[in-house]
Amino acid sequence: MTDRIRPADAAACARAVAESAAASRTMRVRGAGTKDYLGEVLPTDTVLDTGALAGVVAHVPADLTVTVAAGTPFSDLRSALARAGQFLPLDPPHASAATIGGIVAANSNGFWRARYGAVRDLLIGTTAVLGDGTLARSGGRVVKNVAGYDLNKLFVGSLGTLGVIVECTFKVLPVPKVSAGAHAQFARSADAFAAADAIVRTSARPAALAISGGSGGAWELLLQADGDAAPVERTLELLSQSAREQGTTAQRHEGVPTVLATLNEVSARGDGAVVRAALPIAAQPAFAATAARLEGFTQLVADAASGIVRVVLRGDDAIVLGGADALLAAARVCGGSARIERRPDSLRARLRSWGDAEPAGLFLMRRLKEAFDPHGILEPGRSAAG
Amino acid sequence: MTVRAGLRGAPLVSALTGLLGADKVLGTREDLLIYEYDGAVDTATPDAVVLPNDTADVAKLSRFCRQHEVPIVPRGAGTGLSGGAIPVEGGVVVSFARMSRILEIDVANLRAVVQPGLVNLHLSTAAAPHGLYFVPDPSSQKACTIGGNVAENSGGPHTLAYGVTTNHVTGLELVLSDGTVVRLGGKAVEYEGYDLIGAFVGSEGTLGIVTEITVRLTPLPEDKRTILAAFATIDGASETVSAIIGAGIVPSAIELMDQLATEAVEAAVGAGYPLDAGGILLMEVDGLRDGLDDAASRIEEICRANGATTLRRAATTLERDRLWAGRKGAFASMGRLAPAYYVQDGVIPRTRLPDVLRTVREVAQRHGVRIANVFHAGDGNLHPLILFANESELEGVKQAGLEILEACVAAGGSITGEHGVGMEKNCFMPLQFTADDLATMGRVKSAFDPAGLANPGKIFPTPGRCREFQLAARR
Repeated sequence: MTDRIRPADAAACARAVAESAAASRTMRVRGAGTKDYLGEVLPTDTVLDTGALAGVVAHVPADLTVTVAAGTPFSDLRSALARAGQFLPLDPPHASAATIGGIVAANSNGFWRARYGAVRDLLIGTTAVLGDGTLARSGGRVVKNVAGYDLNKLFVGSLGTLGVIVECTFKVLPVPKVSAGAHAQFARSADAFAAADAIVRTSARPAALAISGGSGGAWELLLQADGDAAPVERTLELLSQSAREQGTTAQRHEGVPTVLATLNEVSARGDGAVVRAALPIAAQPAFAATAARLEGFTQLVADAASGIVRVVLRGDDAIVLGGADALLAAARVCGGSARIERRPDSLRARLRSWGDAEPAGLFLMRRLKEAFDPHGILEPGRSAAG
Repeated sequence: MTVRAGLRGAPLVSALTGLLGADKVLGTREDLLIYEYDGAVDTATPDAVVLPNDTADVAKLSRFCRQHEVPIVPRGAGTGLSGGAIPVEGGVVVSFARMSRILEIDVANLRAVVQPGLVNLHLSTAAAPHGLYFVPDPSSQKACTIGGNVAENSGGPHTLAYGVTTNHVTGLELVLSDGTVVRLGGKAVEYEGYDLIGAFVGSEGTLGIVTEITVRLTPLPEDKRTILAAFATIDGASETVSAIIGAGIVPSAIELMDQLATEAVEAAVGAGYPLDAGGILLMEVDGLRDGLDDAASRIEEICRANGATTLRRAATTLERDRLWAGRKGAFASMGRLAPAYYVQDGVIPRTRLPDVLRTVREVAQRHGVRIANVFHAGDGNLHPLILFANESELEGVKQAGLEILEACVAAGGSITGEHGVGMEKNCFMPLQFTADDLATMGRVKSAFDPAGLANPGKIFPTPGRCREFQLAARR
């Protein structure tokens, strides 16, 4: 029977983890539970609910930083920052429910990393409880800081396997004066990627540059531009220009943020499997062509500015398994890496989250896991590193 | 202060010569003297210097050092400002002077693959014909190496908007202190598993040695506007920084210089800075050319509203380069004021600039020293330059530096923003971190370097050198 613990503060959290470690009881760390589909989720003796570790701890607007307890819903933080005319420039999936700690632990980025960077670029301070109950702080509340190792980076994407994140400090930004969207349709995926690439090579820095396409349908390139009115206009004009060069036209599109939010959550719902690849940007067109040729190919969603590509595969188990294996291999051949973000239950044993390839430096990751979680109680087996 | 009982001195030099060949090993007293200092103020002489040609040499050397308990200390151009390249426990200094090539400029993927000894500016120069550049631009970029930038997680004026070194590294090849070669990451933005690259960047050579680096290249801005604003007082200048940020404008750079620094810069570089100003701001906005004039005008309005006495916008590239030459040449100009200086690197939340700068002035008065201030105001990253004339003043100068760092930590800041902890500030780490915080960093150290041979005596407080400081702190 699984226990639930809901510590009221960081000290209580440290005590709870220390007690679990002493009893060798394994532990799942859970915020809003929006990303149970990520990683190899195995049953644990205990679930630590971070919900009571909530609230904005410090926000001095002119410092452009915010410190927030890890269980705080992202949407609460967004409202608090908005009152000061600021925002945390992340557009993670499940933005309406996800907690800050979950977003950091899952390295939950959206399309905005094109302009604003990813979680790793915005997180400047972390307080975490290690697997033996040690409360450890890294970084701080200033935007530039090289005192000691940057442990923030290790917690980003660690899926709770290195420690329970209890507090985070981020860089924040003023809300842009203008945000506008546009889109264009292309008959071929290669043309959509070529149009996106032309924009990536300018200093326009659009907030989002997404490509979406399905089997048999058109390929859509969506752009969001943030900033002052003049550069935003010019960025939209750049899309028009690059669309023209590929023989099509671009239109303004008010609904771009809504479409992006849906595309962001392609891994969370539906049947079939989702392979998520991180690729060198120039490898995307070939990877997309490979995906589109697969029998089970259903949809492709790319953050074309960053090389993050998700492919939805549907069909019987043999088709999905064959397609997923082909894409995992294609990502490696392209110089990137890939993982499975969704799979049918029937394939759980045969299609592992991290594929069959070991991440580079796995022996170092295992040493770190052992050092941070000596009793092996935190989310055993969930991440690529153990 | 050798604390380990490994191979040292002449026997080490001859063993290394046998291992790698005479052309890769330096061991005479005159040769070694050159490697006993870097850009900071502390010194220590290595037992030997090795100049590897490739990764295989570094791996061979590391295996040997592990076997014979020899500390191994990587060195780029020796421009570091925290003693990072100083072999505080002796041993081997590894110079990357011969591993200084660009291996690849991958325009399609916006990446470059380089060797650690490559000079920072050389990469941007080579990428410029493709319309690309490498963002981190430390003031020493004409000399400092990218391997050193990775070790120190270096910044620079333009990192306010575009990030520091860690935001621009996507791949590393490392040699661990037991000789294991590990290749991490590549040309994609991220890879599966823990972000070992993120943990490694800024580790100051204490986790291993970098032998190859994959970095992001960024499209050059289409245009820029560079503005100089002079204020009667340094408070006026620093309050303007908060006003600009508070107005929702994040320029690509905001640099501040006080009157003493301006005096030195004008004597040495002649950048055209007004000599009668108490504080000068140098600001830049860049990107698409559309709207840049508006953004510059808004900044100028805020400066005016905050009492700017002079406002000048560079009209030509030549004028812009001259304005930046003053800032980038500021440290080197200090020779006009005094024979030597000691630069500190504290960071504070930027709203605390006026009061912490006041503390810096009080520290100067208390110690009877002159302190010039040249710093990244947008980041709240102070660089007080404490001037002195001879070695006998150094202890007092260091004490003044420590008092400034204490003020930074008390204001919620950090003891170092971009220069690193090194052997200069390792004793001060407990000002900022608890014993548990430091022990957690120690777990990372042990995972990468269980034998403790990778740049020992850096970052972590050492019982020997730090005892005095701890006693003083307890008093």
